Amino acid sequence: MNANLRRNWLLQGIASVGDCGLFFAAVLGSLPKSLRYWRETCRQVWFVGAMSLVIVMTCGLFIGMVLALQLYYTLSIFGGTSALGTVIALSLFRELGPVVTALLVAGRAGTAVTAEIGLMRATDQLDAMGMMAVDPMAYVASPRFLAGVIAMPLLACVFNAMGIFGGHLVGVTWLGLDNGTFWGNMTSTVSLQRDILDGLYKSIVFGGVVSLIAVFQGYTAPPTSEGVAYSTTRTVVFSSIVILAFDFVMTAFMT
Amino acid sequence: MNAVAVTHGSPADALVQVRGLRTRIGAKMIFDGLDVDVPRGSITAIMGPSGTGKTTLLRHLTGQLRPDAGSVIVDGVDVPKLSRRALFNLRERIGFLFQNSALLTDFSVFENVAFPLRQHARLPEELLRDIVLTKLQAVGLRGAAQLMPAELSGGMARRVALARAIVFDPMLILYDEPFVGLDPIALNQVLRLIKTLNKTLGITSILVAHELAAIRQVADRVYLIANGKLVAQGAPDELAHQDSPWTRQFFGGEADGPVPFHYPAPDYATELGFAGPHR
Repeated sequence: MNANLRRNWLLQGIASVGDCGLFFAAVLGSLPKSLRYWRETCRQVWFVGAMSLVIVMTCGLFIGMVLALQLYYTLSIFGGTSALGTVIALSLFRELGPVVTALLVAGRAGTAVTAEIGLMRATDQLDAMGMMAVDPMAYVASPRFLAGVIAMPLLACVFNAMGIFGGHLVGVTWLGLDNGTFWGNMTSTVSLQRDILDGLYKSIVFGGVVSLIAVFQGYTAPPTSEGVAYSTTRTVVFSSIVILAFDFVMTAFMT
Repeated sequence: MNAVAVTHGSPADALVQVRGLRTRIGAKMIFDGLDVDVPRGSITAIMGPSGTGKTTLLRHLTGQLRPDAGSVIVDGVDVPKLSRRALFNLRERIGFLFQNSALLTDFSVFENVAFPLRQHARLPEELLRDIVLTKLQAVGLRGAAQLMPAELSGGMARRVALARAIVFDPMLILYDEPFVGLDPIALNQVLRLIKTLNKTLGITSILVAHELAAIRQVADRVYLIANGKLVAQGAPDELAHQDSPWTRQFFGGEADGPVPFHYPAPDYATELGFAGPHR
């Protein structure tokens, strides 16, 4: 890659971040007006939240089970298997719950939102709304953004619950750890403020990030089949990178 | 509404008045001092070669695009100077028929037509239903009210879009290529609807179209735009017999003329390597 291409690539990247920032401001500006369309917001919460439940629950269950297996082996080296419940819960509440849920939602709902809005753009539906004096930012963009912010922490809670259930299934039912020790150590160590709420704050931020990227990519998708496909891919790639980067920054501030 | 009053004299019967319109998109000059008048209650056709800015002109009339210079006056208000709220108020009185119909794909035919009413008018459900069914009856699709857009043919979708465009009884309807892709039956149905709406409701209509036979049947006046300027105007039959290079090529369907057959390119022989100092 020569210097000019590299500079153009960099400038385009910076311009995209700037455009996304302006779009974010426009979405926030449209939020009060979008409250009129609360039915649409509810529909989107259903679409982003309820429709993602199967994948989130399944992944949560298996991640909890794998965690239990791996941690039981590691803890048994130090004779600390009684801490299994605590370590599973802390891993899920503080990191895996918010991060994996956000990655799953980006892959399932984020791509769908991008493709939907991209096709609405390509088939003039957004322009048609504008021509009917309906602001597409308030009717289309803001409800989807809000839905992501609302649904993500709820999904993360479900993911955490399924993960703990999976960990219990393997640790207690299969490997024979004492049920009282599993729950007792967990409830006495996990802090509501430091562990559970911090994880939920992360989920809220990730919900905003994923839905903003998905809506922005859909809104700015070139009106061609290739353009929509490319934007959909970018939603997953950018969401994944930004989620992990934000996770590092937020963890650094929270610990 | 924050209406911006017209500052220069306007004929009382002109619903749309475009003066000195200049628009540049990227490096291309789309309009270079365009003037257009559309009398109230008339059907006016905008014609011209592809890529000449006909749809762009419609986008100026609805405030979707702001010109670099000039004024675009619709019903006495200068559209580019309107606030967003005033622009939306104006758009409630303008119907727009998109080339691809632009129906909301998640909604049924009934809900598509009801959409503007649900957003802007707090009507009892029964009254709303009656209005929607009246509009669907006008376009002959009352029986298709529960179908989804994916179940409609191109002509039916165009008629549903027309029912949606007239649901607020607008003063002006803009048709962007309403006949494209329609079979002769559907084309005649749409043509008849345009005429009926104009005659019965007195709606002013602006059509962007290429179908000369259809335009001659329906339009009161034709504006021919090319190279960013108005090159000819008049009644369709007058224009068809006018002897200018533009009208001759456009109405005669000649492949070459003021609109060249070849896109600008370097010398053919030079590009193929048959000319130059080494030959």
